[in-house]
Amino acid sequence: MSARNRELFGLIPASLLITAGFAAVFVQERPVVANASLTYGAAFLGLCLVAHLVIRWRLPDADPYLFPIVAVLASVGLVVIYRLDDTLAREQAQWFVVGLGFFIATIVVLRDYRVLERYRYVIASASILLLLLPRIPGLGAQVNGAYLGVRLGSITFQPAEFAKIGIIIFLASYLRDTRLLLVQRKIAGITVPRLKHLGPLLVVWGVAMLLLVFIRDLGSSLMFFGGFLAMVYVATNRLVFPIAGFSLFAVGAWFFASTVGHVSDRIDAWRHPFDAALYDKVGGSYQLAQSLFAQADGGVWGSGIGESLVKVGLPPDQAVLLPAAQTDLIYAVIVNELGLVGACALLLVYLLFVERGLRIAVLARDSFSKLLATGLATVVALQVFVIVGGVTKVIPLTGVTLPFVSYGGSSIVANFVIVALLLLVSDRARREARA
Amino acid sequence: MPASTVALQAAFVALLFLFVIWVARSSLRDLRRPDEQRWAGQAAPVGQERTGMHSVVGGAQAAVDPRLVVARAPGHAPGMEYAIGTGAVLGRGDQAEIRLEDLFASSRHARLTRQGALIVLEDLGSTNGTYLNEELVSGPQPLHQGDRVRIGDSEFTFVTG
Repeated sequence: MSARNRELFGLIPASLLITAGFAAVFVQERPVVANASLTYGAAFLGLCLVAHLVIRWRLPDADPYLFPIVAVLASVGLVVIYRLDDTLAREQAQWFVVGLGFFIATIVVLRDYRVLERYRYVIASASILLLLLPRIPGLGAQVNGAYLGVRLGSITFQPAEFAKIGIIIFLASYLRDTRLLLVQRKIAGITVPRLKHLGPLLVVWGVAMLLLVFIRDLGSSLMFFGGFLAMVYVATNRLVFPIAGFSLFAVGAWFFASTVGHVSDRIDAWRHPFDAALYDKVGGSYQLAQSLFAQADGGVWGSGIGESLVKVGLPPDQAVLLPAAQTDLIYAVIVNELGLVGACALLLVYLLFVERGLRIAVLARDSFSKLLATGLATVVALQVFVIVGGVTKVIPLTGVTLPFVSYGGSSIVANFVIVALLLLVSDRARREARA
Repeated sequence: MPASTVALQAAFVALLFLFVIWVARSSLRDLRRPDEQRWAGQAAPVGQERTGMHSVVGGAQAAVDPRLVVARAPGHAPGMEYAIGTGAVLGRGDQAEIRLEDLFASSRHARLTRQGALIVLEDLGSTNGTYLNEELVSGPQPLHQGDRVRIGDSEFTFVTG
């Protein structure tokens, strides 16, 4: 089977998932099973087919599995969001279409992605500006103590989602030039770069720390910095960089955890989620504790699609058992309803996404492409780690989205651009490897 | 929980797993395919480039009959081939094995040497630099099948076997 036909075949499970999932929600909520679920499945398949045809047209050699993986993730997300709230699901479906639009536009406009290298400093400054936007008075919106959103008219968007792509493009291009300089000097058997080569990298560490202070979000900060360290490691093959980097990050995080009030509250809630005082406190550990209860309740096989208790009672006496169920806690809802089995399947799909991404990096021939693919794949992996780790109490809970699954327009659009870039790199790499 | 929900949910999770198995199996097959195997091998450090980023499988696949094929070069017909053998110097000067009639080329511009199973490209301190796949070469770089070597307006493709 050719690569593109394999991709086409892979879209079948995605649309079947939508059909089965929506049918399960219908059965749960309505007395009569409408055949609407079939319509949704067909509409989803149709949209994916459009994107598939564009890939067939512009990127005939691209990786065949990446797009079906994304379709499967998106369909799981749509089903779970639909089960939580059908208005949100309609909006999410609209964002999915917008995301596909950006995906197609990226592929068509950016045929030779290496032109991005020419604009690296413009891209880097724009990204840092985007990151700081939420702190500008009148524009920014504070949610749960973190400054992540920007309000433009009626839409709120999360600039960090787009900034992460820009920063990876910049780092890939910068490290391509300097990676050999970074490994030139050795002192006592340890690679120690000269200060002038190390300077810009210290600037990146500084930016990660600033993020922590200004945006007050450990998750995003960890995501950026981890992605950066992965790229430096791939560019230099020196363990000293990730080790030194994580130590610096740990020192910085520890310092801010003990001095910035918002961060230390999060740490307390993470250490002792079942502490009665913290549980009742506003902005305390309620969300995390409820998420853990919901996951435990799911068991191995899950309580069934549509069965988890997200809200109890009717407005105005409604009690929200799982706050932010459609964004931060969507993983907890999935564990509750599909059980450990379903959650493992979902994590395996993410694992495959990252495997395909790193495989693209291995196949790529030039350093920029290699670093770009590595960075994009790692940042998605870290984002999944940060939110799943947060929800399962491995690290403090922070509000990043579960890529392609969580509700959120910025997240869907930005992640579709990431997939488009990976496919662009992959098309070139596989074509050259074949020749 | 009604039986239909249980069935639909089981179908949902089963579908997810079937998908995972399908992609994982195909990925494994990919890894075993010989034409991609070269790029997934262990790092074989070459010259000063010890970062292992452009790794190759060492030893097993000696570069058999390595050649440079002219893609475009002033004074050369495209498609013309230069056998590299155990090594060759590219440049504008009389001593160069591969003579370039290119205004941007130095007299001894770049060198190809055989190191074990590999052919390694090295810039010899030229004025305008040597490009491997449109990247400026600094330090010795191993060549792979299909790599493009460019000096000024002259471009070659590296082929073996």
